[in-house]
Parts: sequence; C-alpha cells; structure tokens
Amino acid sequence: MHHPPSLLAVWNWTVRKLRYLAVVLIFSHCQAADPSATVASVSFIHDVVPVLTKAGCNAGICHAKAGNGQNGFQLSLLGFEPQEDYDHLVKESRGRRLSLAAPEQSLLLQKASGVVPHRGGVRLPVDSEGYNQLLHWIRQGAPYDGASAPKLQSLEVQPDRGVAARGSSVRLQVWGLFSDGSRRDVTRLALFESNDPAMAEATPDGSVTIGQIPGKVAIMVRFEGQVAVHHAAVPLGEPVVTVPPIRNFIDQHLFRNLQELGIPPSPVCDDATFARRVALDLAGRLPSPAELDAYWATPQDQRRDWWIERLIASGEYADFFANKWTAMLKNRRDDASDITSNFAFYSWVRDSLLANKPYDTMVRELLAATGTVLSNPPVAWYKRVKDPKQQVEDVAQLFLGVRMQCAQCHHHPFERWSQEDYYRMSAFFTQVGRKPTSTRGEDSIFHKRGIATAVHVKTGAKLTPAPLGSPPLQLPPDEDPRLKLADWMRDPANPFFAKSLVNRYWKHFFRRGLIEPEDDIRDSNPPSNPELLLALESHFRDSGFDLKDLVRTIVRSHAYQLSSQPTGGNLVDQQNYSRYYPRRLQAEVLLDSVDDLTGSRTDFANLPAGTRAIALPDNSYNNASPFLRVFGRPENESVCECERIQTSSLAQSLHLINAGDVKAKLQNPLGRIEQLLKDQIPDDQAVRLLYRSAFARDPNEGELRTAIEYLQTVPNDAAGNPIDPARAKRENYQDLVWSLINTKEFLFNH
Amino acid sequence: MAERHFRSKSKLSPRLLRWTTLATLLPCLLSSQAVAQSVCLPLPRLLSITPMGGKVGSEIEVTIQSEHAEQIEQLRFHHPGIVATAIQDPATGEQLEDRFRVRIAPDVPPGLYEARVLCRLGISAARIFSVGTLPETIAPGANHSVASASQVQINTIVNATCTARAVDHFRFEAVAGTHYWIQCDARAVDSKLDPVLIVADSEGRDLVASRSGDRIDLTATTDGPMLIKVHDLTFKGGPGYFYRLSIQPMEAETTIPLTPSVQSVTSYSWPPEGLPQEAPLQEQSPEEAAGPSQTISLPCDLAGSFYPAADVDLYEFDGKKGESWWIEVASERLGRPTDAAVLVQRWVSAAEGQGEWTDLSELSDIPSPIKPSSNGYAYDGPPYETGSADALGKVELPEDGRYRLQVRDLFGGTREDRRNRYRLVIRKAQPDFALVGWGMHMELRNGDRAAFSKPLALRPGVTQPVEVAVFRRDGFAGEIELVMEGLPPGVTAQGLKIAAGKTRGVLLVTASGEAPRGIADAQCYGKAVIDGVEVRRPLRMAQMIWPVADAWSEIPVPRLVADLPVSVSPSEPFPLTLEPQESKVYEVVAGQKVAIPMKVTRRAEFSGSTLQLRTMGEGFEQMPRWDLPIQSDQVEAVIDTAALKIPPGDHALAFYGAAVAKYRYNPTDVEGSERVLKEAQEVANAVGQEVEKLNTQASQGTAEAKEAAMKQLQESQKKKEVAQQRVQKMTARHQAAKEKANPRDTAEIVVSQPIRIRVKPAEQP
Repeated sequence: MHHPPSLLAVWNWTVRKLRYLAVVLIFSHCQAADPSATVASVSFIHDVVPVLTKAGCNAGICHAKAGNGQNGFQLSLLGFEPQEDYDHLVKESRGRRLSLAAPEQSLLLQKASGVVPHRGGVRLPVDSEGYNQLLHWIRQGAPYDGASAPKLQSLEVQPDRGVAARGSSVRLQVWGLFSDGSRRDVTRLALFESNDPAMAEATPDGSVTIGQIPGKVAIMVRFEGQVAVHHAAVPLGEPVVTVPPIRNFIDQHLFRNLQELGIPPSPVCDDATFARRVALDLAGRLPSPAELDAYWATPQDQRRDWWIERLIASGEYADFFANKWTAMLKNRRDDASDITSNFAFYSWVRDSLLANKPYDTMVRELLAATGTVLSNPPVAWYKRVKDPKQQVEDVAQLFLGVRMQCAQCHHHPFERWSQEDYYRMSAFFTQVGRKPTSTRGEDSIFHKRGIATAVHVKTGAKLTPAPLGSPPLQLPPDEDPRLKLADWMRDPANPFFAKSLVNRYWKHFFRRGLIEPEDDIRDSNPPSNPELLLALESHFRDSGFDLKDLVRTIVRSHAYQLSSQPTGGNLVDQQNYSRYYPRRLQAEVLLDSVDDLTGSRTDFANLPAGTRAIALPDNSYNNASPFLRVFGRPENESVCECERIQTSSLAQSLHLINAGDVKAKLQNPLGRIEQLLKDQIPDDQAVRLLYRSAFARDPNEGELRTAIEYLQTVPNDAAGNPIDPARAKRENYQDLVWSLINTKEFLFNH
Repeated sequence: MAERHFRSKSKLSPRLLRWTTLATLLPCLLSSQAVAQSVCLPLPRLLSITPMGGKVGSEIEVTIQSEHAEQIEQLRFHHPGIVATAIQDPATGEQLEDRFRVRIAPDVPPGLYEARVLCRLGISAARIFSVGTLPETIAPGANHSVASASQVQINTIVNATCTARAVDHFRFEAVAGTHYWIQCDARAVDSKLDPVLIVADSEGRDLVASRSGDRIDLTATTDGPMLIKVHDLTFKGGPGYFYRLSIQPMEAETTIPLTPSVQSVTSYSWPPEGLPQEAPLQEQSPEEAAGPSQTISLPCDLAGSFYPAADVDLYEFDGKKGESWWIEVASERLGRPTDAAVLVQRWVSAAEGQGEWTDLSELSDIPSPIKPSSNGYAYDGPPYETGSADALGKVELPEDGRYRLQVRDLFGGTREDRRNRYRLVIRKAQPDFALVGWGMHMELRNGDRAAFSKPLALRPGVTQPVEVAVFRRDGFAGEIELVMEGLPPGVTAQGLKIAAGKTRGVLLVTASGEAPRGIADAQCYGKAVIDGVEVRRPLRMAQMIWPVADAWSEIPVPRLVADLPVSVSPSEPFPLTLEPQESKVYEVVAGQKVAIPMKVTRRAEFSGSTLQLRTMGEGFEQMPRWDLPIQSDQVEAVIDTAALKIPPGDHALAFYGAAVAKYRYNPTDVEGSERVLKEAQEVANAVGQEVEKLNTQASQGTAEAKEAAMKQLQESQKKKEVAQQRVQKMTARHQAAKEKANPRDTAEIVVSQPIRIRVKPAEQP
C-alpha cells in the first residue's frame, strides 16, 4: 500500500535538498569568486586523489567502482578516473559527503578518520597529513582542477637499482615529472610494493627492508597510474670457487649470475638421480628397470644425452605436455556430448607435440581455427571459450604472459595497458562467425567478412585491432584479423610471445619461472635473471619456435642437472637455481608412478586398459578418482597453471597412507608383489628391483639389510601364534612397497 | 500431526490440491508412458558386411549383420556384376542366413556399391560394398598390443573392426627409403568409426598420427618392422566401427588420389545438368595464396583449389551493363570440409589509370530448402541438411567494365590441403532443379529424437511418405510434379504437387492391402516445364547411415544412396489403413465444401480412441486438425475449399497423424519356432530312447553282441548330444521369438491414401 509521506520525511528530504543546494551554491561561488584557488593550493588531481589512493579508499574491496563500492560510495579504481571521482565526492548522495560550510563535519573526513563508524576502519587519522590535505581542499571550496592541472608524465624512483646486503635497508625517493616541466617529490603519496615480500618489504613511506634471501627483487612504485621500479640485487656473498662445466648458454648466464650474487651452486647430480628427474620432467613417468639397464649400459659420457633423446622422442613426452596445455586451454567436459570435441582437441595438441610442430604454428592454428571440430580440432577451443573478451584475456595470459582482465573495466593498475588496448586486442576476435552443426552446442567457426572493430565500453568508440603495444591495424574486410594476430605473435619484434613460452617452460623444469608468476609479465615484475631470459627467448625464436629443441637445451644444461642437495649456504636461495628445487609429483604423475611401482593400472572410463593418467584427455576423470582430486589435478577451468594444486596437505598424506585405491593397488592379484612371489624372486633381488622402480637407484647396504630383515619377519596373529609364512611374506612385501610410496624420495622429483 | 499442520498451512482447497497433485504427477506418468513407447515400426537394415569389399574378378565369402531381417532370401548389390549366392551349413544342409558367396565380375569398375538384403519384411536399408583392385583380407582380431600385432602385407586391404576401449595393432615390413601411403577408410564406407591412425616403431612408440585425414604419408627411414595402430577417436567400438586399412608404396611427390567415398546429402544439388566431368579451365596459380588475378571470359567453368592456407583466388572479367550471371562454387558438395565464399567486385575508375575495387555482391552458403533439425529437445525438422556451405547467387552488372571475383574458403585460414578443390561455374541463367528425398519422420512422442533410415519396405495397407527437398537453381520457380515408376504389383505412388516457388514436397507410396510379395527397382523423378520444355530430374534418395534412437547420444549421419528398390511383404500388414471409399477424383465447385467418405481398416489394437489428423498437400496444410475415431469403420472428411481458398484445378492431399499401435514383431515366428522346437524335442526323445535301448543291449547277451551294441551306443550318444544341443538352441530361439512378439506400444506415422480433388470454377452469376 502506498502511504503518504510523513511530515518528518518531508522535512528531512527538504533539509537534504537544501544542504545539497548550499554545497552547490557555495561551490559555484567559490569557483566564481576565486578562480586562482586551484593553482596555489591543494590539487584535487595531484593531492586529493593520491591521498585517497594511498589510504586505500579506492581499492577494489573498499569503494572502488570495480568492486561495487561499499555503501554506494563509488570511486574509480586507484583513482584512474578523477573526473568521475570528483562527481562522486561532490555531487552524489545529495552532496552530503562534503560540507563546505563546516569542512570538518564532512562525511568523507568523519568516516575516514573514524569519528563516525566506518567499516573500513581509520584510514586518515585526524590531523594526519592526508587528513589535513583533504580538509584544506574542502576549505578551499573543493575545487576541481582536472583541466588546468599539469599532467604527470613519468615517475622516477631513486635509486632505481643497487646492490643491497641481506638485512639492510634502502630509502626510496619518488619524483613525479609533470607536463609543465615541474618536478615534485611524491614519495609520501606513492605506493610501494615488493614483487617478493619474502625477499624485501616496503613500507608506505618508501623504506625497503631487505630480507635474508639472496637474489633479485623489485619494488614497484605507483603514483597516478604511472609506475617506476627499484631493482635490488641481494648477494649471498659466499665465495664461488668453482662452477660446473659450461654446456650451453644457459649455464653461462646462470652460473655468471650465481657468481655475481656469491651463491655457490650445488654439484651436478649423479646419473641415477638424473635418470629419474629428467624422465619425470620430460615424460611424466618413472624410468622402468629395463630402461635403466639400457641407460647404465650406455657409455657414461653419452648416457644422459641418450636418455634425453629417448624421452623426447617418446609418446609420453607428447602425452605429458599435452596434459599441461589442454588444462590451460580449458579442455573440460561439461556435457557428455563434449567427449568427441575434447578427445579431438586433446589429440590435436598431443599429435602436434609428438610431431614437434613449431610452437608459433600451433598457436596460429588455434587462434585462427576455422571449420568443424572433427575436420579441424583446434576449433574446439572456440566451443569452450565463446566470449571475445574471454578469448583475448586467455590468449594474452597464455601466449603472451600478460594479464589483461583488469583493463576491460579500467586502466591496468600495474601496467601500461589501457581499456583501449584491451578492446583493440578483443577486436581481433570480433569477426569470428559461427554456424550451428548437427552436434548440440557445437558450432563450426568461420571468418565473418567485415571490418573488425570492438566497441570501447566507456567511450563507445569503435576500435580497430591493435596488437599489444603496437599501432592499430587497418585490415580489409576480407582478412581474418586472427591471422594478423597470429602473424604478430611470431614476429621477431614481439616482446612477449617467445618470452612467455620460455618462461613457462623454464618454470616447468625449475619449479620457479624467471618471471614469477609465469603469466604476469610486466615492466614492474622483472625477471630474476634478465640476461638468461633474453638468451632463452632468442634461442627459441632462432630455432623456429622448436619446443623439443628448447626442452632439450634446458635439460642438457648443467644448470638443470645440479643436485638438489644444498651446499655452501645456498639453501636460502629460492630464485637463482643454485640447486635443483625439489617438487612434489603432480597428481597424474604420482598416480602413474604408484601404478608402475605396484604393477597396477588405474581404469579410466572409455579409455583402453593401461591408459596412463598423464594421457587423460580432459578433466572428467577427476570425478571418479579421489586420488587425482586430492593431489590437485585441475578442472581445466582456468588459463592459469595455478589452478593445479601443487601444495601438500594432510588429506594427501592420509590418502597415501590409508586410501582404498592405494591399498587395492598393493593387493592387486595381478600386481608386482604377486608376481615377485609367484616367480619366487630372492628377497635381495626383489628389494633391488623395487628400489630401482621407485627411486631409479639400488638400495644402499643399510636399506637392503633392513628391507630383507623386514621381509623375513613372521609376525604373530592376535592369539600370539606366528601367522602363515606365505601370508607374512605377502603382507611384508605390501608393507615394504607402501613405505617406499610414502617416502619423500618417491613423492618428490629431486 | 504433520498432515494437520500441512492442511492448516495450505491455502489450497482440497479440490485444487487434487488437481495440483495430478498436474504434478501427470508429466511423470506421461513421460514414463512415452519412454515405454517404441518409435516407428521395425524396418530391415543391413548393418555390416565382412569383408566390406572385394577385388575385381574375385569370389569371396562374406558374413553379414542385420537388424529386423530374418528369413533373408537375397543379398543384393547395385550392380549386376556383383552377385551373391547363399551358403549352406555343411552340417545341417540349411541355408546360412548370415553368410554368402559373392562373385565380382571382372568388368565391375572399382568403386562403391549399395548392398541390401531381401528378407521377411522386404528390402533393407543399404550398406556400402567396396570393389577395388587389391586383394582383401580380414584381420584376425585380438591384436590389441604390440606383442599381438597382426602381420599385414603391402598392397592388401585389411578389413577390421575396432573393439571398444582398445587399439588395433598391425605390423608390416618397411623398406628404408620407400614412400608409403597408409589409408584407413571408415566414414567413407559407412562406418561409425572416426579413425585415429598412428604409425609407430617396432616397439610401439608413436612416430606420427593422423586424426582427421584418414591417411598418413610416410617415408621409412630404416628396414624392418613398423607398426600401425588404429582406434576410434573416443575409443568406441563394436560391429559398426569397421574400417579398411591399406599400405601402398608410392612414388615420392606423388599426389595421393582421393579414394571413393559415400556422398553427403548436400551433394544432391551438384552438378548442374550437362556439366562436363572435367572443367575446361584450371586455376593458374594453385600454389600461391595471393597470386595475380586470372583473366577469364564468361561463361566460365574452372577448377581450382583452396591451397595454400588463407588462399584467395582472383578472377577478372569484362562485363556489360545489364548482364546477369549466376555464379556457383562447389567444394563442400565435392566432399571437402570447406566453406566457399565469393566476393564480386567492380573496378571503379577515379582518374586515368586510377581507381579501386568496390564490392558488388557477396555470395555464400546455399540455404537449406527445408529447415533441418536443430537437434533440440524434440523433433523440429528432418535430420537431413539439404543446403550447402558452397556458394551460389546471381550478380547483375551495373555498368560496362572490369569485374573481379575473390574466391576463398572461409574454413581455410590455417589449413594446407591440396585436396580441398573447388569448381567455379559462371553462367547465364539456366533454371533447373534437383531433388532429394527420404522416409519422412515427424514427432511421435515427447523428446522424440529418432533418426532412422526408412527403406521402402512396404507393409500391405501402408502409405509411406517420402519427404522431398527441392533445390531451385538459377531462379527456377515453376511447379514440379513428382513421379515414381517401376513399382512392384499392388504399389502405387502419388506425388503431392510442389507449387511454384515451394521447396518441399511429399511423395506417397502406397501398398494396397492385398499387395503380393514383390520387389522392383523403381525410378523416381520430378517433372517440370522450363522455358516451355518438359524436363525430368531424378529424385536422389537419402538414408541414415546408422539408425539413431536418440540424436543426443549419437549424431545422425545421412548420405545419398544410389538405388531405389521398393518391396512389399505381406508378412506383416500395416496396422491401420485410411483410404477414400472410392478411388476416384472428387469434384467440387470452388468455394464449396466437399465430403470425402473414408474407409478405416484396423489390423491391430491401438492406444487411445482417436487419431488426430493433419493434412498435407499444397493449399491444404491449413485445414483444421480433426479427430478420427479409431474404432469407426467409416468417417467423412469435409474439405472447405472456400476457407482454404483452393483455386480451380486438380489437387491431391492426404491426412496424417501419429498412432500408437500394440505391435507384435513377427508373431508367426512364435508358432514356427515352437514347431521346430517340438520337432527337435521329438528327435531328441527318439535318440534318447535309442540310447537307453542300446544301454540295455550293451549290458546283456554275448560278448560280440555287447561289443556291437557298445559301438552303436557311442554313435547314438553323439547323436543325442547333437539333438540336445539343437533342443537348447531351438528353445532359446523360441523364447526370443515369444519375447519379440509380445505386444509393444509403438508409435508410427499413419498417412491416408492420397485423395484427388478437382476444383471446378464457380459459375459466374
């Protein structure tokens, strides 16, 4: 029912309106009365907005419009749209946020200082510098100087780089350079952020405290949308007397960096360790005892290279890397009918890797895919990723290492990418035509003739395609813009494409990217070893984007072959690869390894018996496999490799200790243990075989003795009588294999 | 308490509550009934032939698998030089229903031929049989590992079938430096298999794989064994997943020829009448993606290819103001996975030697004459795509001057395949038409997504509708008459008129209730007058390659068939016949109503008491639906020519609807199998008694008599075992026959026999 407004409500409404009118009148009066006030006093653009930014008011979780702005108070994210912010502050909410008549009573100040309850807490204490800046600006009549204020042209941080001892501090000073030629110290208004807080921490006033971890660290400094970076090299300072022999350019750059930082490298690992490590990294599996026999039979000076070549040529290499790529390319099954397109797409990736199709060609075939899924499987990517905006974001992150998501709605806060850059990139995908096929939910893809343009969501401008950081292209309507994008991808001048891939692959082998995260390449996130990254990038490009050559080059280097055992104080090193960083085996590899060791095979729906977990085409198998879920196999929902969970958890430990599927593998009547018993293999031989299968090495004397003793134990039953010796032997073997599975040596690649 | 609480809270009246409950449950009840219903009466289908082909001039033994096809009389091929004869069981002397000896005459050209069986229900749907020049073998099977790989010979076709969740392995001896062409035909020969073909080394390590091209072109680097692996893309398998594998050495740099393939339905509209087999002109720069313009003169008939990737072929010609040209490109209809498009441009001069190409027209897909199925929840159109991704259209030249065509493949941005050829034809208007038809289907129940092949295996009393799509070329808009000839006795066909401009027609094939068993190779065509001359164009028939009960679980794949056999089998009459009382032309004056007395003949029980009928026939589709009381013997259908605005002239129409009959499959087999069972039991009993008798004899009398009796006893015991086995077999068969003959609710289209009407002009006052 509609009630007539009460007198009180009418009165309140009138008071609010009058207050707003007063603000507007006074504001207008001030502007009219003192036009020069904006020049000499507090600047909205260069003082007020930075104060709000520094106080975090316009952060995503507070009042940023991008985060929906708490309590209806919406500011542009990080102050990128000052005109809008001014309107929100002064004109919105009937002008009650500012009180020109009584500036201290302004809601803005009262909330920010906590005088009235504020869910965001005290951001600007009364009489703090920021508080006073805002107060002064309101007292001035809250003028807007967007048109007249000089523009910030660039930002300088001093010092911009240096060598800092562990535990030391550095004080940064930040200067803004403006369009009128002026230069202003903006240190107190700038934001400071470390790219690795474990290595260095920055305080709001620009003080940087260096931690105990040696390496390269960067402090990003932001002010009004500009970014500057302070680079600090933190040496360990230990003497580096010798480094392993140089096998290729990777060793040159990596060992030079270690020498510069004074981080001694661990020695090269032994052959057994290498055999296991490289098999896991290249083919996602353990070496078999028969392969190890062949490995040891190969002359020592050729052994490692022989093994590398054998692995790179294997189908498992293609399986393993296809597993990696299809997860990022979102090959997921949402409907039972997806099976054909998912299998086709997986197979296309797998076959391309097996045939060593050049990476740029693969990307081109994917980006500019046309036709039906069966006749041209990369079309399946367009079935999975339908929105042009999602397409550009995935392509940028996956193939360029650039995260564009932010730029859809606002200027990228850490980068130079604007909304215009975003929409110009998305314009490449605007001429993707679709025709229905007889398969439900599946279209064929074609190039839809026309001038490719994307509409800027804010300005409404129709933007033609432009590769990131490049001028716009004028493409005729007949040309598929995606082909032009693919051309640009492989262009030697492209600063992202090769870099992104080599960084991603480096991380695959070394646990940490030279740029970390591996898909967040930006000026403000520099690589830990720029020279090495550049050399890898050049090598990869010069090789014709040869992926097998890249992995071969990496694993042949002594840098990759270093022992994981720390030496000479390099335990603290986390980013310079002075030793091999051990990693837990990923879910699929671990499951296959358990299968290999126990002589079992996990059964996967629709797939032939014996299919390995690393060869699963999509995510659907996770549903039926608690093992894969617990160990973090991704659901192929994200373009980010971070979707795969590589951390350890209690659930994982419990699963290995006690889960039914692991027990069933140990007790498999057709498994390895039963075979050992059936063949009556002597205990010492059996133990050696199990150690080789699990660790690619023989047991040492102590291990062998302990294991044999255990195998020959006959425990008592509940009544205290010795159990049947045959049963005891079977159970002892199961215990032995169970304990091997639960060792770190088995669970980790090291 | 709970109930009281519910009542006190409920605002619904008890009556409303009952209705609500009923409304909630009704869909469940209906759906359960719907699920229990079968769709379409069974029709015979030949599913597989093993081996799937044979060498010219050879004689081979084949084994067939079929559906709804018992009492097979013949295995028929669509070439008189391929003849099958029955094989008898050497043990019993009975004819083996699933095995035949096939003789391929030396003069049979290599290619693909339709094979069908003639059985109790009549002629089956077709299956492809290949005739080639290589010897053929059948893979032994169980070759699912490197160790169990089957040895195959070079220049031999291996017929094999994939097993679900398995990979077939084959081994061949490679010679270093030899170039091999490894071919795996599957979809091209009616298989369900999407083959994955992998070449591996002798240890099974994959070297190269092909997932979509069905072939691998390989040069061996070493002497010795190599492996070939074959499996389905999604590791499906079973009888429908067959393939033909061959390994043939070839000269390097030789273009691998295209192997014969079944034709997609879309290709019915190609080629235009009178087009020569080979184009007189060729693309001049087939190796260049953006080569120079090729000057042509019109009319033009040219062959080119969409090669290399992102190929754009340019053709220039001089034109005159007012000229009209029809431009047609065929590529998809040649069996290639392409999407041709043509951009027509005109050179517009700005100054001396200056100017630019301006767009005149874009020609792209050929629209489907009949809206095909969207593969949604339920049937919303035939699962036959009759348009094409090829390009066709008319261009009118606005000025004298230079014109240019850009011919490209919208699917060809990244693909490098020389086999993606096209044919470009530019001509003055040559109005014409092409026809394709298939057994008509309609929604028979909720969520009906069935897609069955429907051979013209007629039951007496049926009128089977054939849905016809009309491709109208170069603006032809005239009427088309559908004609079917060469029918077996008791069978007639009536084409419902396809009016001017219409793109869908229906042909009704009727078997009278008394039609005798028979078969004939019919001919069907459309007849029209074009430019004052009567022309006839064949009706190409299409069928589903495999019967699909639910198009969501398996995508229906149709193709064209090369023959059109029509059979009648009195084994099972059609459950319901609706026909006009008199076989005559009913006359009516325009603007008046005419009552058609109709006769109803029932031969089964039905669910429901009425059959809702719609009307087909040009001009009659808008006739209101009406209910036919199924139990009545006679009804009267009233046609209001005024309401329907039927113009004077001769017309034909038919009524149709969906009926649910209590259908029994082959009930006579219950008696037949019972009789055979009894005979078998009698034989077994007799042998049993004899054994008992001999047992007694063997234990009595002289030693000699005992010995003789023992010998006889051993033989009789063997006979007894055989007799008992036969009893077991016949018992199972009888049980199966009874099972199949249980009445089953089966929904089927019921179409009346055509009704002919002559509308006479109203007399002018």
